[in-house]
Amino acid sequence: MQIQRVAVIAIIALTTMWVDKSYDWFQPVRYALGYLIAPSQSVAVLPMSMSEWMGESTLSRRELLTETHRLEARNFALERKAQRMASLEAENMALRNLLSASEKVDERVLVTSVLAVDPDPYTQQIIIDKGGSNDVFVGQPVLDSNGLLGQVIEVLPFSSRVLMIADSNHAIPVQVNRNGVRAIAAGTGDLHELNLIYVPNTADIQVGDLLVSSGLGGRYPKGYPVATVTKVDNIPGKSFASVKAEPSAQMDRSRHLLLVFEEGAGRVPPEALWKGKR
Amino acid sequence: MRGSVLGLFLLYLFGAFALEHAPMPEMISWLQPAWVMLVVTIMVLLAPQVFGLWLAFPIGLLMDVEQGTLIGVHVLLVAIHIVILQLLYRRIYLFNVLQQSLVIFLMIMAERIVQYWTTAMVDSQAMPVPMLWPALISAVIWPWIYALLYRPLRRMQ
Repeated sequence: MQIQRVAVIAIIALTTMWVDKSYDWFQPVRYALGYLIAPSQSVAVLPMSMSEWMGESTLSRRELLTETHRLEARNFALERKAQRMASLEAENMALRNLLSASEKVDERVLVTSVLAVDPDPYTQQIIIDKGGSNDVFVGQPVLDSNGLLGQVIEVLPFSSRVLMIADSNHAIPVQVNRNGVRAIAAGTGDLHELNLIYVPNTADIQVGDLLVSSGLGGRYPKGYPVATVTKVDNIPGKSFASVKAEPSAQMDRSRHLLLVFEEGAGRVPPEALWKGKR
Repeated sequence: MRGSVLGLFLLYLFGAFALEHAPMPEMISWLQPAWVMLVVTIMVLLAPQVFGLWLAFPIGLLMDVEQGTLIGVHVLLVAIHIVILQLLYRRIYLFNVLQQSLVIFLMIMAERIVQYWTTAMVDSQAMPVPMLWPALISAVIWPWIYALLYRPLRRMQ
């Protein structure tokens, strides 16, 4: 009797799994259940946030002062850069106007911190502490202070799941900063290595080249650092060169991340791109 | 069943979901036991008349959302877990703790295999599921779960 009931549950489960894989009808269910699991999530990170708070509130005056001095010095250096940045941006805009190209404005960003790392060793995903209540959306680009880190793939009310660029199911269109050669950086499942696929043997890519996002996929904003080339192998007889790169983002270390809100990019679901309806 | 026992069950479940989410160092992240399954085991063993297959739906759905798997996988896994316990609970009462651990090990291992099979049936790019270590570590901590969570409740009843 009970075995039959389990068989029925198995059929229902397989159906819902298939529906969930093919359509997004269950997204509201996921979102609503997200409210229920939010408290247990915040309890799970309580020890971590407690120790962080303890560490912050027991810093000595001396340490705080040196920290402030260090940050002030850094701020000066950055501000000097920013001064030049303003004039460069104005110049860039004027040039773009001459070319009658659309002008790129500064994006709005939201700071978030990492709640948890997915324990599954076969995927590279993390969970962050901002969700639908902060207008996070599926496909949103995520950065850390050094470069692109990944994109949001699932949004719950108070948390979201981020797929990192090192996941073996992920690939991102990039460009060599030095000369603009385009390539695709695919994740390998290893947090410290990306693989540049379909690079012709004659392409001008050298060890040490910085790869930046090209924005061609319509998902990531243009011009953020993605990785640095670490190894180029031209294998005679193979049609493509083997190029390895190390991601700029510190995917196994960063605690604080940035969510980028950019008009246009990211809001486009990938299916809409190849169906041609934007 | 008394309200206090039910309250404790809810507390256990809450704790299990929190632990399932607890941040672990990358090195030992595959040592995460199947906390929720262990709590479900306790609940079914304590009140097999109350906790039948219906329990699979709320808990399974919550696990699917928590782990980001396809909706329905964990409903099936929890259902399998419950039905095995429902068929075996009279025998499990007579087992000693080590034999119970072995049962837990085999059950969780079998469920992980079912999880991979069903996901692979639906999704051609399914990733392998960690099987051996979570099952082993769940079996290893079962004696403690039994002594600290199950026995006191058994005496309360």
